Amino acid sequence: MNLAALNPFAIARGRFRQWWQSRLPLSDTTTLTQRNVYILPTRPGFMLAATIMVLLVASINYQLNLGYLLTFLLAGSAVVGMHVCHGTLRGLTMQLVPPDAQFMGSNATFGITLVNARRAARHGIGLAVLDSTHPDHWTWTDVPGQGRSTVQVAFAPTQRGLQRLPALTAETRFPMGTFRVWTVWRPAAQVLVYPTPEAHPPPLPPGEPRTGGAAAMRTQTTGEFDGVRGYRRGDPLKLVVWKQVARSQARGSDDLVSRDTQQAQRYELWLDFALAGNLDTEHKLSRLCAWVLQADKLGVDYGLRLPGQEIKPASGEAHKRRCLEALALC
Amino acid sequence: MLKAALQKLNALPREGRDTLFLLAVIGWVVMPQAGNLPWWCTGLTAGVLLWRGRLAWTSRPLPGRWWIAGLLVVTIGATLLTHRTLMGRDAGVTMIVVLFALKTLELRARRDAFVIFFLGFFTMLTNFFFSQSLLTAAAMLVALLGLLTALVNAHMPVGKPPLMQAARTAGGMALVGAPIMVVLFLLFPRLAPLWGIPSDGLTGRSGLSSSMQVGNIASLALDESIALRIRFDGPVPAQQDMYFRGPVLTRFDGREWQPLQPRLASRFTPGFMGSPRLDVGGQPVRYEVTLEPSNRPWLMVLDATPRSPQVPGMNTLLTQDLQWVTDRPVTDLLRYRAESYLQFRHGPAGTAGVLPEYRELPPGFNPRTLQLALDLRRDPRYANADTPALVQGVMDLLRSGGYQYTLTPGVFGQHTADEFWFDRKAGFCEHIASSFVILMRALDVPARIVTGYQGGERNNVDGFWTIRQADAHAWAEVWMAGSGWTRVDPTSAVAPGRTGAFERLRAPQGAVAAAFGAVNPTLAASLRAAWEAVNNSWNQWVLNYTQSKQLDLLKNIGFTSPSWEDLAYVLLGLIVGVALCGALWTLWERSRHDPWLRLLRHAQRRLQQAGAVVPASAPPRQTAAVALARFGDAAQGVADWLLRLEAHRYAPQPQASLAKLQQQYKQLAWPQ
Repeated sequence: MNLAALNPFAIARGRFRQWWQSRLPLSDTTTLTQRNVYILPTRPGFMLAATIMVLLVASINYQLNLGYLLTFLLAGSAVVGMHVCHGTLRGLTMQLVPPDAQFMGSNATFGITLVNARRAARHGIGLAVLDSTHPDHWTWTDVPGQGRSTVQVAFAPTQRGLQRLPALTAETRFPMGTFRVWTVWRPAAQVLVYPTPEAHPPPLPPGEPRTGGAAAMRTQTTGEFDGVRGYRRGDPLKLVVWKQVARSQARGSDDLVSRDTQQAQRYELWLDFALAGNLDTEHKLSRLCAWVLQADKLGVDYGLRLPGQEIKPASGEAHKRRCLEALALC
Repeated sequence: MLKAALQKLNALPREGRDTLFLLAVIGWVVMPQAGNLPWWCTGLTAGVLLWRGRLAWTSRPLPGRWWIAGLLVVTIGATLLTHRTLMGRDAGVTMIVVLFALKTLELRARRDAFVIFFLGFFTMLTNFFFSQSLLTAAAMLVALLGLLTALVNAHMPVGKPPLMQAARTAGGMALVGAPIMVVLFLLFPRLAPLWGIPSDGLTGRSGLSSSMQVGNIASLALDESIALRIRFDGPVPAQQDMYFRGPVLTRFDGREWQPLQPRLASRFTPGFMGSPRLDVGGQPVRYEVTLEPSNRPWLMVLDATPRSPQVPGMNTLLTQDLQWVTDRPVTDLLRYRAESYLQFRHGPAGTAGVLPEYRELPPGFNPRTLQLALDLRRDPRYANADTPALVQGVMDLLRSGGYQYTLTPGVFGQHTADEFWFDRKAGFCEHIASSFVILMRALDVPARIVTGYQGGERNNVDGFWTIRQADAHAWAEVWMAGSGWTRVDPTSAVAPGRTGAFERLRAPQGAVAAAFGAVNPTLAASLRAAWEAVNNSWNQWVLNYTQSKQLDLLKNIGFTSPSWEDLAYVLLGLIVGVALCGALWTLWERSRHDPWLRLLRHAQRRLQQAGAVVPASAPPRQTAAVALARFGDAAQGVADWLLRLEAHRYAPQPQASLAKLQQQYKQLAWPQ
């Protein structure tokens, strides 16, 4: 049991943060104003404050009027620096570039365009996904005066299905690093997260005889779904069974082997939720996802059977996407 | 060669370039200290900085922790050896400077960089222990801008931004911060030191000393730095009457002159002091003195000042020797007013009041001078002469005996007076005064030496009188029955030009200064006068800005009897006021942060004033349509402009900049 999770302060903080974030409006474009830009001194900021105090005490004790001047000029610059820091984010507009669907657990990115309406450039703006577990997940950028720049923010989706983009945070410490100015932004856009493809999935399931076909169920022995035949000139490379080729080349022959489409015509590949092994739902979906990708790569037709849903065998990008969406939303 | 180096500099990775820049700034911060630090500290700092610079130049890795630890141990040991302590100001400055340099070898985390910046600000302050001149201030302003630039540059994480960009931001910050500095400087209450100033506060500052060994003042004469400045309110006394009184030396051990009570001049011992007998006459001279810090408790005033000079925040007392002293050393620029009378009588009237110490001479010294005194006594002219006649006789001897005034009298032996009277016949004011007093005492005339400053010169730019360390002088006082202690300046007999005329013996100058002075002496003099006037106003307005001046400021803005609490209230009030203004501005600014939108709203309002009905949310194209529908061809220009405005925001490659659109907006023909 993680002791940190029992810490009442940590729990309270987590709750507070959740409540705080939930009351932020959802939008795909946000303009930062005094209302949603926050500022707090950093540790170096406190160090600078301590330095100024020491300088002041030294000036008093040694009665150095020039020391007073130095102390106050430094303090004045720090105050101005605070405003510059706040101004770096204030007035900035952030626009979300709608993200593509992602696989769960992958290192995905999505784009954000920063628009600077003022004449002066804005320096050192960092963007990141809030509550990210990555240690160094900041993306830093400058925005030119009256210009824009687009950054890619990394995030790792942790849940399957259609879901909101995680809350984002933009931060700057420019110019002196003595203050941290930040904002929290909840984009309204949603991203579809497919299940994680299983890393080492078992071979594709054997084909089922077409409905009405006479062929009997074939047992799988080679670890490949389909029948093979010798390569014929004109066969698409996609049909070459490279595994088989590698094996036969190891034996000294350099014959190419093609997938027997006749075989494929007689059998059709069904990726069935019920036949995906004796696993929990997520693992099954993960395996199905890997199979979909594998089948798509092989270029064969495949169908998907999920509880309460069935997608007819087909192939192609649109079909793959349809299957993956079905897996994501299952 | 240089070109290649510049190319290499440009080609350096960002890290290397930033490090080199930071090292240059550090070098600049530390450089003014070089003369004040122990030689090993200067050497070690320069070595470490150069080493680090080389590592950055060649992009090589930093040395290991053991190197740094070793150097640190060496530093601590050397500091202990040099200063015998690690505490105190001088040891502290030495340590800070070395730590500052050593930290550059350890730029591992971002925190290290911050430590360097903050140590840098601190090291800048330590410069002011040694000098608060205008030049130091200018150098440190450059250093502050350099450090701020490095700090800003460190917070530009993207790419390799040019240093000028960071410098511009830093300069802007300092410029906008300057008013804050001025307000705080003017209004921050000046407090007394929170705890005692370490005793080594002012080592190495030249000035008069509380004792006089023959040779001391000769070295002072080479020092052209300023001791004090005077501004006379009314008539200015003649230059030969300007005697600023310092310590009075009475006890003589053959080699060194000491004040009557050892350490009297440096200790505040009220028990010993009674009010001296002093009668003044004539018109007083009123003036204001700006005294440079001397680390001595002496207030320089003209002879004689019966009433206490007004020194803010200090107690003053008049010694039996007619010298004004304060209760603590003058460690800071000090300004006070005084009132002096050039005609005065001082000292006991009768012989009974004169202490025997004023006639004592150490046995075994100066036999020939004693013989000279005997010879004088035997001289029928002086056999029964009174003191004034004896003084006159000795002064005549000085005048006619071929004695000379020189800045390089050489090293005197055991019998200093003998050597002066008989062998060398040349000396500086202290030799002359010392020999004169010894002869007077040998004649059984009570006499003593007074040290201080004599003369000075007027700065024609601002009218202040400047008295330099080179004006340090020693003269004699002889007790005469009836008139008390009477000033006798034997140097004036030897060299009339030393006191009175505007010329003074000049110490040999450096080659450049000498050449410059030879080519155009007037220009050199007026340049110097102008520079010193600038320096003086710096002293008057910045270095000497004290609490009394702060309270004067409050009086000027309407406080009847200001106190330092009022200062705090004014300061707080200003801060609150500025903060409120800032809040109001933000409120105002919040509604109109987008210049494009603002421009569109202006245009829509203009059309509405002309009679068109424009929906509040209408984009430019719709607004243009409304305008065309309402005004027809008269609005064609406006409609075109609105479409350009639309293109500015939505076209992939906008044709016109926003500034140009704003300019066009003003020139549009609006429908009536």
